[in-house]
Amino acid sequence: MHYRPLLLLSLLLALSPLAAAAQEPEDGASPAGGLKLEAVPAVMQKAVDDFIRPGYRDLLEGTEAVAEAAHMLCEKPSEETLGDVQMTFDELVQQWSTIEIVRVGPAIENNRFERFLFFPDRKSTGLKQVQRILATQDQTALSAETLEGKSVAVQGLGALEYVLYGTGAEDLTSDPNGFRCRYGAAIADNLNSVAAELHAEWEKPDGIQAAWKQPGPDNPVFRNGKEAVTELLGILVHGVESIRDQRLRPFYAGIIKGVPDKGHPKLAIYWRSGNTMPALSANFMALQTLFNAADMQALFPEKDRPVAGAVNYVLQAIVDDADQIDLPIDEAITDEEQRGRLNRILQNTNDVLQRLNLDFAAAIGLGTGFSFADGD
Amino acid sequence: MKLEMKNGTDPIDRRVFLKMAGAAWAASLAPQAAFALSRTDAVYASAFMSPSGAYGVAVLTEEGAIIEQMPLPARAHGMTYSPATGRAVAFARRPGTYAMIFAPDGSAQPVVITAGENRHFYGHGCFSADGRLLYATENDFSGNRGVIGVYDGTDRFARIGEFPSHGIGPHDMTLSADGTMLVVANGGIETHPDFGRTKLNLDHMAPSLALVDTATGGLIERHAMPDNLRRLSTRHVDIGADGRVWFACQYEGPRNDLPPLAGSFSLGEDIRFLELPERATQALANYVGAIAVNRREGLVGLTSPKGGTMVTVDAKTGLVRGQERLVDAAGIAPAEHGFIASSYEGALGGTQSDVAWDQHIVRLGAL
Repeated sequence: MHYRPLLLLSLLLALSPLAAAAQEPEDGASPAGGLKLEAVPAVMQKAVDDFIRPGYRDLLEGTEAVAEAAHMLCEKPSEETLGDVQMTFDELVQQWSTIEIVRVGPAIENNRFERFLFFPDRKSTGLKQVQRILATQDQTALSAETLEGKSVAVQGLGALEYVLYGTGAEDLTSDPNGFRCRYGAAIADNLNSVAAELHAEWEKPDGIQAAWKQPGPDNPVFRNGKEAVTELLGILVHGVESIRDQRLRPFYAGIIKGVPDKGHPKLAIYWRSGNTMPALSANFMALQTLFNAADMQALFPEKDRPVAGAVNYVLQAIVDDADQIDLPIDEAITDEEQRGRLNRILQNTNDVLQRLNLDFAAAIGLGTGFSFADGD
Repeated sequence: MKLEMKNGTDPIDRRVFLKMAGAAWAASLAPQAAFALSRTDAVYASAFMSPSGAYGVAVLTEEGAIIEQMPLPARAHGMTYSPATGRAVAFARRPGTYAMIFAPDGSAQPVVITAGENRHFYGHGCFSADGRLLYATENDFSGNRGVIGVYDGTDRFARIGEFPSHGIGPHDMTLSADGTMLVVANGGIETHPDFGRTKLNLDHMAPSLALVDTATGGLIERHAMPDNLRRLSTRHVDIGADGRVWFACQYEGPRNDLPPLAGSFSLGEDIRFLELPERATQALANYVGAIAVNRREGLVGLTSPKGGTMVTVDAKTGLVRGQERLVDAAGIAPAEHGFIASSYEGALGGTQSDVAWDQHIVRLGAL
């Protein structure tokens, strides 16, 4: 663990005006330690232009594809058209699992995140709502406009997965313009609508992308480079924490007191469609892509570059393991080799969290670690 | 080792503390720690993270020297203390689920409690006037509402009930001087453990300050933020000598706005925002992390980790009495003169320790 040099209040007060001025960062924020402030605008620009905007662009395309395929399925139900929808769904899960790591800005406004993906579904509340819509043939669930006003649990990826892979999905291949299919198409249209909003928000030239690229005193999001970089690092740290705590541990908690957790495979995200590990892999790949696309290692001096190398190494190891887990998740938990990979993923997740939280944070001058210094 | 006592100028809380501590406990202190205690004018407690990344809580002298420390199961946040029973509490940081009740004088074994099903702690709480009940701000995350959990101090702090916080996202909470009301800062921000620390409803926040009847849990009075300040999250509170409630805020709106960041009110009155000079508002970086009132001197202290600043204000006139730079400023509590403040970097009251102090300090006894 790295600590900044001791900075006592008395010492600060005793600084000569010249020394104090040298330490005083823009707008009274804490001194930025090893952070190369001059590198911040380029890093933020790359994060936006090379990761976030392409991510939402891909998401929009993915939702268009799944909506188109869903409407085609309703019109001409068959094994083939159902297969097309399922293929576009799998692709959309990949696209969402990439950009969902950005849990800041427009994604968490107007319930967009929850509308796109409601998870976890505690006590199967959402599942019951979806099943009720199907059982009662609720006509108000058949258009994106009316669906938007319903529970977030019945209008996102989880609901669409149940429509495509859940009990009764076989009806989709034989029932032209059937209720289930039209409900699925309405969900796809709704996802397309949310993706279009997210894309539009990030494409406004004078909107959030401008705020992210040029931190400064008049900026509505970041008044200085340190605030901007803290937000960017926050995406990585909170991303790893969320994946570990909300996506991995609920279905497999690892070795507990020497014994492997017997697991809860039905708590795994996307278990019905077999997308659990592909989605987790996409999550970690996205963290690595953002880290590298934004060139975050440019933020600190050359001597600290090994920190970036280590982060990359561990993230890649996690992705490699996730990609090798190809059994259905309930079988993977009981298979020695596949479970071993899950154990390694959990260990490496903790490892990369420490590296980002402590080592990377220290390299950019957050002496006590990122997670620690975020107040409340 | 015999403890040296100062002459008649001793503050009451040190005498009370030493009396509660007992000779046996004092004798068990390492010589250096005992020496630190003998020089102190008051004692404090604060949670910390050690260099190894472990979490704990420490008891401190007014100068910030660590007298005693004990481990915590996970990171803590706010603290409270009951002069009536001598018990202190460290609450888990949101969305944590434990709180540890301990005797700073070491006279009793610590008790660790956990939040109920579908509940997590928000990081703050307070005792009833007689110390028999402990109140904690909690999130009923399945019901999406703030609640105040009630724990029985006479029965190993068993959870015996709850009542509404009368707002979303309750954070800090304190007890009125007469013990009849809880003052709750409902930050107005929805969170859910499934989303970690992500704030979920920034576009439709509903911050408020609620006065809640300790006898019934009923709402006595609620102050919502004005429409143009809906993104001003009311987070921390303290009480002045005249019973006036002082509150401090964190602004979730545009970073280049300059909203008021603190204010006060008395029962039955409208809120009055503190009009700070622009220089002080800028320095607080739209984020006050902790507030404390020095009742004897009529001062209000504010700290901002984001701005690396500590501001002292005259409670009567609202005029700034001091503005100091403190890198990563964390907790603040009343001192013999003015305030003691800590930092994430280990500074506390002029002492540099090898720990990262957490966001709050509690004074073990009143001035």
